[in-house]
Amino acid sequence: MLDSLTLYGRAFSSRILLGTARYESPTQLLASIRAADPAMLTVALRKQVQGGTQAGQSFWNILRAANRALLPNTAGCNTVKEAVNTALMAREVFETDFIKLEVIGDDVNLQPDPFGLVDAATELVRQRFRVLPYCTDDLVLCKRLLDAGCEVLMPWAAPIGTGQGPRNPRALRELRERLPDVPLIVDAGLGLPSHACQVMEWGFDAVLINTAVSRAVDPVRMARAFADAVHAGRSGYLAGPMPVQELAVASTPEMGRPFWNEAPRFTAQESA
Amino acid sequence: MPLTVNGQPTPIPDPPTLERLLAVLRPPLPCAVARNEEFVPASVYAKCELTDSDRIEIVYPSAGG
Repeated sequence: MLDSLTLYGRAFSSRILLGTARYESPTQLLASIRAADPAMLTVALRKQVQGGTQAGQSFWNILRAANRALLPNTAGCNTVKEAVNTALMAREVFETDFIKLEVIGDDVNLQPDPFGLVDAATELVRQRFRVLPYCTDDLVLCKRLLDAGCEVLMPWAAPIGTGQGPRNPRALRELRERLPDVPLIVDAGLGLPSHACQVMEWGFDAVLINTAVSRAVDPVRMARAFADAVHAGRSGYLAGPMPVQELAVASTPEMGRPFWNEAPRFTAQESA
Repeated sequence: MPLTVNGQPTPIPDPPTLERLLAVLRPPLPCAVARNEEFVPASVYAKCELTDSDRIEIVYPSAGG
């Protein structure tokens, strides 16, 4: 059965989006991309060519060699104007209408600014972008972003780069339940494959990971572990988990067990 | 005051257009440009006349999460 991820009408066979930052070398980045097999790679724009011209050229060559859809971000933008202009520049450089919209409202925990996010999303949708907003798990914010024309949402699990895993599982699960038809990608704060597996079991459509892979001791192995976890979680979700019970229910049939007719082994008299 | 490119004082080229500035600077990678914090599409570089108070920002592909 084909189980593809569809974002703005574009189908992807993978349910991982992989960030390209903080790897030790271009070689390690490329190997991690191959191991994670991501649908998209997130990228950014900066005024400096990172690591000098040669490293910058190497990074650009890897992006081309990886042959993945690119998802530019507006990382570091604190205002609507910055975010919109960064998105316009990203569209020109990376030749894609997809944009991971970040408008940061707090410099300490890098929490999204919900008000700026809605305003920037409104403007970018008007300019025919396909906006993937990095947002919190606030239901009303998410509804406003949908009203603005976003067709995909990317709620956080925890602040960027913390690796804490889902801080507020109840809110994330309610978001999933309340917005059953919207592609939801958990972005930021995942640290372990089990975190990714868990949110996929809850029915999220994909995960976006970066630091969890690039800052692992063995990033390539961790990339593969995340790919396995996402597959497992997605399969678990599709398989339909059993309902949780309050009391024990014997899994082995009672009927026909040896000594079936004996009196109960534990009686009030014995235990007295 | 000369114009600035990514914060660095830079002489105005002759002719004083964004197209000429980029021809002089020869960016090493695909790039995009903002003038005074407003995006300038590549299609209008030739028509974009520069003045000495302009702040030009040139951005390149970079790793990101």
